[in-house]
Amino acid sequence: MSMKISDICEFESLCGKIRKSKKDKSDELCLIVSSGTCGQAKGSLAVITALHESLKKHNLEQEVDIRVTGCHGFCQVEPIVIINPENIFYQNVKPEDAEEIVSETVINKKVINRLLYIDPRTGKRIKHEKDIPFYQKQLRTHLASNALIDPTVIEDYIGNNGYSALCKVLKTKKPEEVINEIKKSGLRGRGGAGFPTGLKWEFCRKAKGDVKYIVCNADEGDPGAYMNRSLLEGNPHSVLEGMLIGAFAIGASEGFIYVRHEYPLAVKNVKIALTQMKEYGLLGKGILGTNFDFAIEVIKGAGAFVCGEETALIASIEGKKGEPRQRPPFPAQEGIWKKPTNINNVETWANIPLIISEGADWFSRVGTERSKGTKIFSLVGKINNTGLVEVPMGITLREMVYDIGGGIPDGKKFKAVQTGGPSGGCIPKEFLDTPVDYESLKALGSIMGSGGMVVMDEDTCMVDTAKYFLEFLQDESCGKCLTCREGIERLLEILNRIAGGTGKEEDIELLKELGELVKDISMCGLGQTAPNPLLSTIRYFKDEYEQHIKYKRCPASVCKEIVSSPCQHTCPIGTEAPVYISLIARGRFEEAFDIIVKDNPLPSVCARVCHHPCEFKCQSGKFGDPISIRSLKRFATDYAFKTGKKHVIKNKKTKKEKIAVIGSGPAGLTAGYYLAGKGYGVTVLESLSLPGGALAAYIPGYRLPKDILNADIENIRNAGVEIKTNVTVGKDILFNELRDKYDAIFIATGAHESLKLGIPNENTAGVLHAMDFLKNINLGKEVKIGKRVGVIGGGNAAVDAARAANRIKGCEKVFVIYRRTINEMPAIKEEVEAAIEEKIEMQLLTAPVKILTKNGKVAGVECIKMKLGEMDESGRKRPIPIKGSEFVIEIDSLIVVAIGEQPDVSFLDRSKFEISKRNTIVVNPETFATNVPGVFAGGDVVKGPNTVIEAMSSGKIAAEMIDKYLQGKPLVREYKVTRPSMYVEPVELTEEEVAEARRPVMPRLPLSARINNFNEVELGLGEKDAIREASRCVRCDLETEDGKKQFKEEVENVKNKT
Amino acid sequence: MLKIKLNGLEVQVEEGWTILEAAEFYGIEIPTLCHHEGLSDYGACRLCIVEIGEGENTKFVTSCTYPAEEGLVVRTHSKKIINYRKLIIELMLARCHTSKTIQDLASKYNVTKVRFKLKSDDCILCGLCTRMCEEQMDARAIGFVNRGKERKITTPFDIKSDVCRTCGACMYICPACELRCQGPEPPGAVCGACLNIEYPCLDLYEDVHCYMDPCAACLLTESEKNKNTNNNGGKNVFNKD
Repeated sequence: MSMKISDICEFESLCGKIRKSKKDKSDELCLIVSSGTCGQAKGSLAVITALHESLKKHNLEQEVDIRVTGCHGFCQVEPIVIINPENIFYQNVKPEDAEEIVSETVINKKVINRLLYIDPRTGKRIKHEKDIPFYQKQLRTHLASNALIDPTVIEDYIGNNGYSALCKVLKTKKPEEVINEIKKSGLRGRGGAGFPTGLKWEFCRKAKGDVKYIVCNADEGDPGAYMNRSLLEGNPHSVLEGMLIGAFAIGASEGFIYVRHEYPLAVKNVKIALTQMKEYGLLGKGILGTNFDFAIEVIKGAGAFVCGEETALIASIEGKKGEPRQRPPFPAQEGIWKKPTNINNVETWANIPLIISEGADWFSRVGTERSKGTKIFSLVGKINNTGLVEVPMGITLREMVYDIGGGIPDGKKFKAVQTGGPSGGCIPKEFLDTPVDYESLKALGSIMGSGGMVVMDEDTCMVDTAKYFLEFLQDESCGKCLTCREGIERLLEILNRIAGGTGKEEDIELLKELGELVKDISMCGLGQTAPNPLLSTIRYFKDEYEQHIKYKRCPASVCKEIVSSPCQHTCPIGTEAPVYISLIARGRFEEAFDIIVKDNPLPSVCARVCHHPCEFKCQSGKFGDPISIRSLKRFATDYAFKTGKKHVIKNKKTKKEKIAVIGSGPAGLTAGYYLAGKGYGVTVLESLSLPGGALAAYIPGYRLPKDILNADIENIRNAGVEIKTNVTVGKDILFNELRDKYDAIFIATGAHESLKLGIPNENTAGVLHAMDFLKNINLGKEVKIGKRVGVIGGGNAAVDAARAANRIKGCEKVFVIYRRTINEMPAIKEEVEAAIEEKIEMQLLTAPVKILTKNGKVAGVECIKMKLGEMDESGRKRPIPIKGSEFVIEIDSLIVVAIGEQPDVSFLDRSKFEISKRNTIVVNPETFATNVPGVFAGGDVVKGPNTVIEAMSSGKIAAEMIDKYLQGKPLVREYKVTRPSMYVEPVELTEEEVAEARRPVMPRLPLSARINNFNEVELGLGEKDAIREASRCVRCDLETEDGKKQFKEEVENVKNKT
Repeated sequence: MLKIKLNGLEVQVEEGWTILEAAEFYGIEIPTLCHHEGLSDYGACRLCIVEIGEGENTKFVTSCTYPAEEGLVVRTHSKKIINYRKLIIELMLARCHTSKTIQDLASKYNVTKVRFKLKSDDCILCGLCTRMCEEQMDARAIGFVNRGKERKITTPFDIKSDVCRTCGACMYICPACELRCQGPEPPGAVCGACLNIEYPCLDLYEDVHCYMDPCAACLLTESEKNKNTNNNGGKNVFNKD
């Protein structure tokens, strides 16, 4: 179709006809398939072929159109098929779905439910595109057009009001008027720096010179950013029309599109568009019969990131090495071939036709005072909805992450969002309510950039993040100016040192000093923004840097040389999980047990009750199920128990000093065990009639059988620890007497004082406190509960109480009442699952309002339904009561879990000891020393209610510190990077074995055998299962430099032997 | 003529001058390693940075490229500038501690330590040689290849150049080629240059190999040299082994 038009009016009337026929057709059936690069990567081309074939099969080719468009933004669910005119939205469409789409939806007008999008929050299927939450807070002035246009058909663009702005300009406006309109609109450069576009144009228009150039900068090279690509691919004419208007306003005769050659589809579609424009007479000499001449050339960049910088881009267009030069002179004065040149980003150009058509006021009504219009971001990283989003300037980061992005996957916690690509800064959760505009982001040490937005969760290490971006920038720095080249390299040198566990304390200051230098002194934008990720992470996450340097800890378990295996690194007592797992895999069970016991005096207990933080960080869990580490520990301890293997060598008392430990819980027993190991005389005092503290009193027997607990405690006794029960300090013996008799004291009395819930009628008969309830059961006292029992709370105590109540004779129904959802429950997941299995009813999103009574006894509990709102400080969603949703659960007993138990420290002299408001003993967090010399404290009495393994950790550290104290050494801890103590040859699995490998299901007592008894429910893995599970370990401990070296040496050894 | 404010003084400068030229005209010494009168300006070494503007809105620019503008306020030796220059010199030393020019700069700016790993490179990529070759010798025999930390100067395709006349202009203009003196201490990051210290080589060396002018060694009289030779056989007693 060649129809070069040489008159504006003729062109306008042709456009009018195209628009009318398009409008007439708008009610007709049309299948829209999004097929940008993202769609094609997910198989959209095959879907299109299949749809064509199906239409052909049903003889519908003539009646039903297939419109192949660019990306609509929701890349997460590509390929997308939309069926118009009803706007039915199908996601993740596969070629095999095509036939069904044609036969069911196109012909029979039926909706295929399984292809609809499911709202992850409500679980409901959504039929229409417009109702999808991802789109709802967006303002899609550009991206929505992508769905209306086949980018290879100019008539589609014209039909969508395309080129009307150009006609308006050519017919009615002078160049200065166009510039004034753009100035008035407040449009600022979308490439990142945010320079006012109208002003930039004016500089170039006013610059001396008869030949001028304009450039469309499409050298989009940020990792994780692709909004320019999708505009060029999906709607190239909008950019080209913008360039035509810009050229007219500036007085440029030639334009360049500088696009990455890695964007083949964008290049292809732009080239098609240019050909069509020429056919219509929209390019070349005398455009549409006016005396406006303009030509556009496409230049493909070779992929250097720095070529996105305008002076480097100019050098590249001129055919020189793509590196920047010092400004001034600015491109508006001296650009391509030293002629005045105006460079704008793709998105900036695409905004021009809209501003001209709709007016500057229409454009500037959206946005903040200084940032107008909409901006496209590519929202990627640890986020549920990945894709391109177009939002009004001024939207908050929180709305972007949670409302549009749908929050963080797998219930993890949000940590930071990085805006502006590799040169942007990381913004922490405290600033989530910041509006997204040029100035606000800059104030936080980040930039708008071209619109990359990378979301990070708790598993992201900020040191590693800074390292990652600097590595990218080191590779992409042109190396011309010294500060950028040497500076980035040295920043990385220091960061690598920190991430490698050899950082020095002064390194943070050096990083800051050097970062500021690179930022202030470098030649071009690349260097000037390169330290942003580093400086912003130091600004907001300095603590993480200090953890790496001072304590050799990587809180996110990422930095390999520090962490070795995340499981070992995460374990508070440093259990060498990778070693014992690989020993089990090799069938070396006794050695495995020895490794466990080396760091853990309560192995059988932990194998049952530990909340296993190791498993949450397991590397196998990154791409499958985490290794069932606790079950493997259970297997090794069961093996030792069965074979009678004892883990204790009898310690001899080699030192004269005596130590008293108050409390025989996990903290006290651990401290006692290690102190006895060092040759001290240790006496543990327990106020209850049996040792074990919380382990004995509060953990029900079906989780931790008494004989197992006693076996571990027996071993500790054998190690030389004397345990005295029925001794209450402050009553049977005064604290001061202990001070006189012993050389050092470790206080580990736990936290047992329950707080009240604070709802009416809490003192009624039939209301029990979970701790008392569990203790009475464990001590064998008679416990009376009714038939229907309610338990309030979602922690371990609540679930324990519920499952225990369920086992008591006469109890028929147990309810757990919890105010959030099951995902937020702090109890161990396995326990919650077991409770549900035992038919305990979970009343979720429910909060008690008051206890109803009848004849002075509990008769029920009035509850109110809750919904989840915004995040609170703990990173969980805050439950909000739903008005008028009150209802009653009829019960005759209510077990209340205290919200936060407090320690009882009445035996201490408050004038001597520092006690916190929460009644906990204040200690030095590193050494567990109290303010009184020789007195140490650990466990829940220090931290408040916490886990078994944390308590043991404090006991272990305190033992070391007490030893130092008694030896007259300074109380200083040494921190080392995590490493396994021995090498175990890895097991090699075949690919099939890897593919088949699954986390084993823990064998459990059948439900029928759990009635009215407290027999242990979990039965432990068998040998075969244990070996198979242990073999699944990916052995990330061998990925450190040490590990690699050891592995290599061992392989050599084996070779030499054979 | 334009008026600018240079370190607090109002001065007149020619239109078209750079800040560096203006400063030189008024006797203010701004260090630079990549600027040369006969060559185009390049802005690579960043040593000639100055602070322009007033109040909150000051910024740092390279004086070798920035044109003097009417009313411009320039500070060439502000505290921040000095600190940045020191850090730049430290980065240069870490890369190329064998250069006498850089060691001299270090002593002038009292840079006494290097907090980075030493790299014994012999080039700071200032680009003087490539511009010399292209602009003055009209040869274009050498140029930059690669980018970032891989950047280096070489002939096309790393092979012997047909257009190179081995004129040596590149070496003549190089700020890094001239080696620092061997010094009394084993080679380290900072030579502890003679500018800062008493001349320790006086009593120790037979043949002191030093480029400083006036070098302490040059002041030695024949007799003192002989005395030295007799005492320790001309050996370097600082060689601790």
